[in-house]
Amino acid sequence: MELDQAGYRTWEGQPRSPWWGCLSIVRVGLSLIFRRWVFWILIGLGLLNFLFHFAFIYLKATLSVQNENIARFLDNYKVTGTGQAYADFMFAQAGICALLLAFAGSTLIGSDYRQGGMVFYLSRGIGKWHYIVGKLLTIAAVVTIVTTLPALILFIEYGTLSNSFQYFLDNPRVLCGILGYGTVLAVVQSLLIFAIAAWVPRTVPLVMTWLGLFALLKGLADAMRAIDGNRYWLLLGFWDDMNRLGRWCFGSLDPNRIPSAGYCLAVLAALCVVSLVLIVRRVRAVEVVS
Amino acid sequence: MNVADYPDALPGPLAEFQSVTKWYGAVIGVNDISVTLEAGITGLLGPNGAGKTTFIKLLTGQLRPSLGNVLVCDAPARSAAARRHIGYCPDADAFYEEMSGRQFVRTMARLHGMSAVESRERTEQALAEVGMLDRADRTLRGCSKGMRQRIKLAQALVHQPAVLVVDEPLNGIDPVGRRELMELFRRCAARGQAVLVSSHILDEMDELADRIVFMGRGRVLAVGTLPDIRAMFAGQPLQIRIACRQQRELATRLIPWDQVLRIELSGIDELLLQVVRPDDFFRQFGELIQATSFDVSRLETTDTTTEATFQHVMSAAAKF
Repeated sequence: MELDQAGYRTWEGQPRSPWWGCLSIVRVGLSLIFRRWVFWILIGLGLLNFLFHFAFIYLKATLSVQNENIARFLDNYKVTGTGQAYADFMFAQAGICALLLAFAGSTLIGSDYRQGGMVFYLSRGIGKWHYIVGKLLTIAAVVTIVTTLPALILFIEYGTLSNSFQYFLDNPRVLCGILGYGTVLAVVQSLLIFAIAAWVPRTVPLVMTWLGLFALLKGLADAMRAIDGNRYWLLLGFWDDMNRLGRWCFGSLDPNRIPSAGYCLAVLAALCVVSLVLIVRRVRAVEVVS
Repeated sequence: MNVADYPDALPGPLAEFQSVTKWYGAVIGVNDISVTLEAGITGLLGPNGAGKTTFIKLLTGQLRPSLGNVLVCDAPARSAAARRHIGYCPDADAFYEEMSGRQFVRTMARLHGMSAVESRERTEQALAEVGMLDRADRTLRGCSKGMRQRIKLAQALVHQPAVLVVDEPLNGIDPVGRRELMELFRRCAARGQAVLVSSHILDEMDELADRIVFMGRGRVLAVGTLPDIRAMFAGQPLQIRIACRQQRELATRLIPWDQVLRIELSGIDELLLQVVRPDDFFRQFGELIQATSFDVSRLETTDTTTEATFQHVMSAAAKF
């Protein structure tokens, strides 16, 4: 007991709420993704799409000053500025994001189960729910950075480069649409990829399951509708359900077309609940036997 | 309850198992365990399947007991409040390989609710304690096993836990490093921390542990200091090596003694004995040497070690 304790100082600080730990999990997750060049290929693809739209808006604003006829001509293409255009942009970005998540899911979630990294989380001053929320926020942040944030920047750019700020006042639905579609994508994709990666942690099976869930079910939905003629079969295509719900947020979904936004919302909500149950069961399984 | 309700070092037990049982379906992990952990170094020993891992997981709040309670600083082990008093250094070292050691420790500090400034300060101090201050910027992938072990220890120490739980801490560490880490554990114990060391290398325990918890078949077989445990098993055969030039003559004199179970001639001048009731044996042997002209140059017991005691405890447990 006479060992030298020189230099040792006790920590007098008060620990903050465990919910602050969620932010730490988000920070670690994002740094993992942005540190790998493989993911930058997909992020770069999304960036390219964004820059194209960004440049187009700038070009349109510049040409409009010189020649109004050119501006009217460019308006015919509906590349940007309208709810439909933003929905199309976010749909394309969401596709890139889905690919990114397919590969990143193994790093963000799968490795915790595959290599036993969970023990470092579960022995901290945080609980099961803090871990789950932290991971979900990480995936939601990735989705937001790739889809919602660029759309918001384009919205602000378009409004700012218009002749007046009237664009913002005239198009509140566009802003709601961007935020709404972004929320749908973030919530559904984060829950779904977490659930799949927790149970299928290895990269290749995860990519196959994740993409198969969207591509195969969409194919099945289309085939069943063609056979049966019942358009409610289309609800099986989760990717299209998200798209329909997103377009409803923008106000560009035909209300008479089946399936309606309400049905899509119900299906996606059920999918989210199932995913959450799977996530909780998986985390509990690690707590019981690992 | 608030975390602040649990001070860092309480008088009395820092962790307590109260009649704890854990089942995995039909398999029993630990069976009716009651143990307390106090300030100092406690060694956790047992063969594979003895329940050591379950014991550690229950203590670190990763498992919920099927019966009984596990308390850490008076808080249930699974609560966030209790986890803040526990530093866990697992055997597995799988975390994000792209992270540097410093980032890893800082992240773990922040998961314990420290602010950015506090976590930075505490990380530097924890790294200094384990001797990794100048090498912590390497990625975990680029670290040797010994360095990873130190980084894991740093993350367990970063929030100054009242109870430090280390699983196989000296694996892959060179002799100098072992000495340093043992010193570190002793420093922790001297500060009033309870250090629980699980190890398969029994020699480490001889040198390190103040107290030993022997586990077998999901039960705690014995708890106490090594001499205490040895005293509990007075009938445990003891190995004694005697160097004597009159090897065969001495063997002839010892054969009739009740305490001597076995005699083995080793080399040209050595006898290897297995005796019971060692106190009686040594008294009688002293009288014999005084009364005769045997030239005994060395007498030593070879199995007062943890390993020998462990073997005996295990064989005793097998009889139950």
